[in-house]
Amino acid sequence: MNNLIEELQQLIITSLDLEDMSPTDIDPHAPLFGDGLGLDSIDALELGVAVQKKYHVKLDASSADTRQHFHSVENLAKFIAAQRGT
Amino acid sequence: MRNVTSARPVAVSEHAALDHSAFWQRVHALRAALASHPARRVALVCDDSSWFAAGMLALAHTGRICVVPQAPQAGSITASGAHVDAVLTDRPAEFSEFATLAIGDILPAGDGAASLPDDDICIECYTSGSAGMPKCVRKTFGQLRREVATLEQQWGQQLGDALVLGTIPHYHLYGTLVRVLWPLLAGRTFVTHTCAQPAELRRWAAQYRCVIVSSPAFLQRIAAPAELPPAAQVAAVFSSGAPLADSCAERLQRDWGHAPIEIYGSTETGGVAWRAWSGSAERPYWRLLPSVQTELRAEPAGLRLWVKSGFTWQSGWMATGDLAHLHADGRFTLLGRADDVVKLEDKRVSLSEMRTRLLAHAWVANVRLLLLAGPRRSIGAVVILNAAGRTQLAADGKLAISRELRNWLRRSYEPVLLPRKWRFPDTLPDNDMGKVEHASLQQLFARRA
Repeated sequence: MNNLIEELQQLIITSLDLEDMSPTDIDPHAPLFGDGLGLDSIDALELGVAVQKKYHVKLDASSADTRQHFHSVENLAKFIAAQRGT
Repeated sequence: MRNVTSARPVAVSEHAALDHSAFWQRVHALRAALASHPARRVALVCDDSSWFAAGMLALAHTGRICVVPQAPQAGSITASGAHVDAVLTDRPAEFSEFATLAIGDILPAGDGAASLPDDDICIECYTSGSAGMPKCVRKTFGQLRREVATLEQQWGQQLGDALVLGTIPHYHLYGTLVRVLWPLLAGRTFVTHTCAQPAELRRWAAQYRCVIVSSPAFLQRIAAPAELPPAAQVAAVFSSGAPLADSCAERLQRDWGHAPIEIYGSTETGGVAWRAWSGSAERPYWRLLPSVQTELRAEPAGLRLWVKSGFTWQSGWMATGDLAHLHADGRFTLLGRADDVVKLEDKRVSLSEMRTRLLAHAWVANVRLLLLAGPRRSIGAVVILNAAGRTQLAADGKLAISRELRNWLRRSYEPVLLPRKWRFPDTLPDNDMGKVEHASLQQLFARRA
């Protein structure tokens, strides 16, 4: 799980082209959107694409579930782990 | 127009359907609450599109001015310079600095039939003008209704009774009109919340035949047609805000089976023209919507497109922000913006307006903003800090400073418009003549700082 969290921190930085930020600047528990990291709706869309491509997971849930999965790095890691059955 | 008291619900969410009587009860409840409130000019901020629609109608019915802020943030209301007496909202906690009418506190009451408001009652929205300040645009319900009638005349039959859902918010006039008012007046059902992810579109389309109201920011990020609902479940896809990239429109038409119907227009003019790729490899020209007239007028920058219709916000001929070439049959090609406002993720933003906001921050001495190319076009900010700002930079580092400035702007702008790259040089790069050149500013972003 810790490996997955580190991978996701790196994926967020590279796929969204975030400057001046290292993986450890992204708090795994903090919200990715709004008051936390401050990502926007386009980032959400691009991160969704990047996560599906890298981990071959399907985002078929309701919008409420999707929001929950993308709330933080930690939630995203849990969701991916559950989908992969690891 | 079809019968608006149809058996179909007005709106649906993931959890519930809102029928006509419940919707009009909401309008009446809001009307009753407004009637006893002294506010004349009321900002409308709702997450739920059905509350937004009810609020808009209730304000019109009670003769109030409905102010729609450029972005659903408290700072956007303040920054627009619009005088507002109160905020009507479904999330009152965020607007504590204003008198608020909290929708949750207004209990349903009253009944009876409702007639739609008159021509002289308007909503007021804000858009980026070219003069560095948000521009106020007022629309009468008559203008909005005529535009809806034009859309219905053009596409009503094709849409049938499809469910209307949107990937764009309802507080932009295109969203207000196409995602909320058009279905409301034509008796179609709309979805109460914005569908931000393709999976949400697929989920609705599994149950209903759909109309997707979207924009290039969304459609150009669709990697494969399989992310979208099956074409057979989709009555039409609309795209507006900016021209859709040729490659995207062509690919969707070829691989998915639907060419998005692009609508060209602006907050000021309303809808002007439309186009859609057909099987041919030629980029289609823009064709005028029914009842719209255009002409070109010469300016130093080129030939500017002017528009006349029943839904421009001022009567008579109105200038658009675009240069154009008019073909013999009345169709036209767009040649680019005529002013300094840039389009980012289909939203207009005035760089001079954003610069003014940044200059108001306590650490900022000077600013230049520019549009950066790349996989995602974004704004780059070159900021000269004053002594206090430089002290902070030395103490906290670059990330902390850019975060502070982003948060400062976030009070007035939607997140997608905020600068994504920041440079804090000691001085602005100038040439021998003391003039700051665009190319040398671009150079600052050529490498990571």
